[in-house]
Amino acid sequence: MHRYRFVLFRPLQFLPVLFGISIITFVLVRLVPGDPARVLLGARSTPTAIARIRAQYGLDEPIWLQYFYFLENLGKGEMGKSILYKIDVLKLILTRIEPTLVLVLTSVLLSILIAVPMAALAARNSGRLPDHAVRIVSTLGIGFPPFWLALMLIILFSVKLGIFPVSGYGDSLFDKAAHLVLPSLTIALSLSAVLTRSLRAAMIVELQSDLATAARARGMPENIVFWRHVLPNSLVPTINLLAVNIGWLIGGTVVVETVFAIPGMGQLLVRAIFSRDYMVVQGVAMVFACATVLVNFLADIVTVTLDPRVRL
Amino acid sequence: MSEPVLSIRDLTVDARLDGETRRLIDGVSFDLGRGEILGLVGESGSGKSMICRALVRLLPSTAIAITGGSVMLGTRDLTRMDEDGMRAVRGADIGMVFQNPTSHLDPVMRIGDQISEGIRYHQGLDRREARAMAVDILRQVGFPDPHRQYDGYPHEFSGGMRQRAMIAVALACNPDILIADEPTTALDVTIQAQILKLLMDLRDRRGLSIILITHDLGIVAQTCDRIAVLRHGQLLEIGEKRQVLSAPKHPYTISLLKSHPSMPEEGGLPGLKTGTPALSVRPLLEIDDLVVRFPAPGLGLFARGKAEVAAVDGISLRVMPGETVGIVGESGSGKSTLARAILGLTPLTSGHISFDGLDLAQQRRQTLAQIRTQAAMVFQDPYNALNPRLTIGAMLAEVLHVQRKIPAGRIPARIDELLDLVGLDREFATRRPLSMSGGQCQRAGIARALAVDPKLIIADECVAALDVTIQAQIIDLFRDLKSAMNLTLLFIAHDLAIVRNLCDRVVVMYRGRIVEEGLCDDVFARPQHAYTAALIAAIPDIDPDKPLLGGLPAGASPHLLTA
Repeated sequence: MHRYRFVLFRPLQFLPVLFGISIITFVLVRLVPGDPARVLLGARSTPTAIARIRAQYGLDEPIWLQYFYFLENLGKGEMGKSILYKIDVLKLILTRIEPTLVLVLTSVLLSILIAVPMAALAARNSGRLPDHAVRIVSTLGIGFPPFWLALMLIILFSVKLGIFPVSGYGDSLFDKAAHLVLPSLTIALSLSAVLTRSLRAAMIVELQSDLATAARARGMPENIVFWRHVLPNSLVPTINLLAVNIGWLIGGTVVVETVFAIPGMGQLLVRAIFSRDYMVVQGVAMVFACATVLVNFLADIVTVTLDPRVRL
Repeated sequence: MSEPVLSIRDLTVDARLDGETRRLIDGVSFDLGRGEILGLVGESGSGKSMICRALVRLLPSTAIAITGGSVMLGTRDLTRMDEDGMRAVRGADIGMVFQNPTSHLDPVMRIGDQISEGIRYHQGLDRREARAMAVDILRQVGFPDPHRQYDGYPHEFSGGMRQRAMIAVALACNPDILIADEPTTALDVTIQAQILKLLMDLRDRRGLSIILITHDLGIVAQTCDRIAVLRHGQLLEIGEKRQVLSAPKHPYTISLLKSHPSMPEEGGLPGLKTGTPALSVRPLLEIDDLVVRFPAPGLGLFARGKAEVAAVDGISLRVMPGETVGIVGESGSGKSTLARAILGLTPLTSGHISFDGLDLAQQRRQTLAQIRTQAAMVFQDPYNALNPRLTIGAMLAEVLHVQRKIPAGRIPARIDELLDLVGLDREFATRRPLSMSGGQCQRAGIARALAVDPKLIIADECVAALDVTIQAQIIDLFRDLKSAMNLTLLFIAHDLAIVRNLCDRVVVMYRGRIVEEGLCDDVFARPQHAYTAALIAAIPDIDPDKPLLGGLPAGASPHLLTA
């Protein structure tokens, strides 16, 4: 199984990547105009109070020393204290990570469940009515902005039909599931549109391929030719497209979380940016970066599993 | 002939495009006898593959349909059968072997599963029984370790083994009829001989009837019982192999036989093969202990050591001005790497190449400048080697312009001259590659090489992609150009017969080394090295009485006999 040897070695390559990301976010956050102490104190701010807060959070030190403290904290499993929430950023993130994680997972699953049958329907009827219908739907899916789509879904399913809650994130498992349906659907509708297009194109090529002809020539019915030979061979390019999109999605849940008032990472990030809560911004950015790296790593593993020719 | 297993009468296939109907197969009739190998011969576009696609009703497009005639399999007419019935026929009566096993095998499915898939579906066996059967078939087609190799993926096997696997897939359902569409065209000559042997073996052991589609008359002469000659969708001639080969009736068959390169040429061509250069002349190209290594593929960042593959492993060669040297060898022998190294397209690991007295390693810039103005290359695939957006005239003008050997005002006249030289009408200056045939494109490719006004032309498999009659024309063109312009020609080919026809000297390469070199006539008549002997024995001769791999001592070169 030496094709999977990269699973052991690849994480070593992550270290320099994450190190680089941490430096960039650390410096960038501090380049943004504004002072967290001033934001925190608001109207009550006096020069002495600001200086006291800055000293308390180490903001008066030179930037390289601040970065050194950040690394030192990271070694202890901490990410520094949030100015706004007064608790360690890592603990703060852990309380907010669940809704975002579940939202991303359900959206991705849902979009795969939508994309594969749609692409199959279109590819197998290429040039005929179902194909055109799928193409129109996926063009609309790409074209409509998610916030608008979210509002329309709320109006239809929550306000008119009253099936799903308007916003928020429940407490019990069932309640949470009900709250996640519309946000997941919002993301899945646009994500599945992108996936459908890529998958449909690959399937059409594979349906005409020599390997499909050979399968037909040994008397395989069209259904087996499609699901057993065409589908696996057309998945690989779409897997990589999906990975890129998930990477984008992890940071992109902000809009959907805001519209549906879901207390997730996106919301946390937006508030942290407005209050110049440096520690939270760089903590969240690091988590997003890790997640993106991890998703691409998983995509590589899936690709290697799907296509025995690939070596990494 | 015993009663036929397959009887085709007036088979007609039409293509409908933009309201226009084109006849692809025009009333073809023939029978396939039990246990017979029938050779279907013709050049590209003759409709030989289309007939076979029509037999199993797997036509490449919905615009193409059978419009007349019948295909009788026993008492059943395949042209009138419904799709379910056809599927059963494909799964139980007729197996197909395709030209390119690499693209016809599913790359993400284990080889054995592709065989047992059909067994399970058509014979309703369970997984274990089907696997046992597939393992048995793998053994029959020559897999040495079928239990283990059942679980291999196509890319893990060589081209020859992949074609064996393809045959195994076709045999899975125990068919009576095997249709093999150019099954060996993508393979090296020694591997080709093994696959043909395998097909004949299977015929003998299983009583298969085989339709063998090929453009190579040598293959037909060696394997088939009867020959059918096709052109433009029509059956021109059909008959016993010996009769057709020795006394062809149709003029096209005669011309096809004449173009076959294995025909011995009476007396050779005076003034060409005897054109041994004077010894006092300095060699134009001198290669001394050349080594080209590439990093072995598939090793990542953390791989230990530096694994390398030596594509060219210590080659020394001298080419005199005016000489024609053939370089032969199978794929992977390093022929193309050698060609690229000579033109400075690939870095040398060690050794020397000197061109007209200048050393490529020591005076790289100067030598490269020299090479680029005095050497040119003709490539294997004429379509891919020409820019599809440029007209032939623009392409030639570009070369002439860059080379600055003639004043800009003379360029149009020179283009006409070049087209005349390669035997293309002058109006081709305004045409683009897409509207030209393979042979015409290759002539344009040669014109481009000549535009450099080179001393040396390197032709890398430049006729491999062409039909035999076109091949013969291109070889004739090279012959004419050589004598007219005192060209030095380095002719790389895997087809020994062509090299024998064209070249003075031949160099045989095997795994990056030269195993034999000498005058063509000597080497082909008295090969010294076992590998050369095996290569020569593997050429399917057009004379059916010279058996394939005949004269090769058993076990002479065991590495050749495991594809």
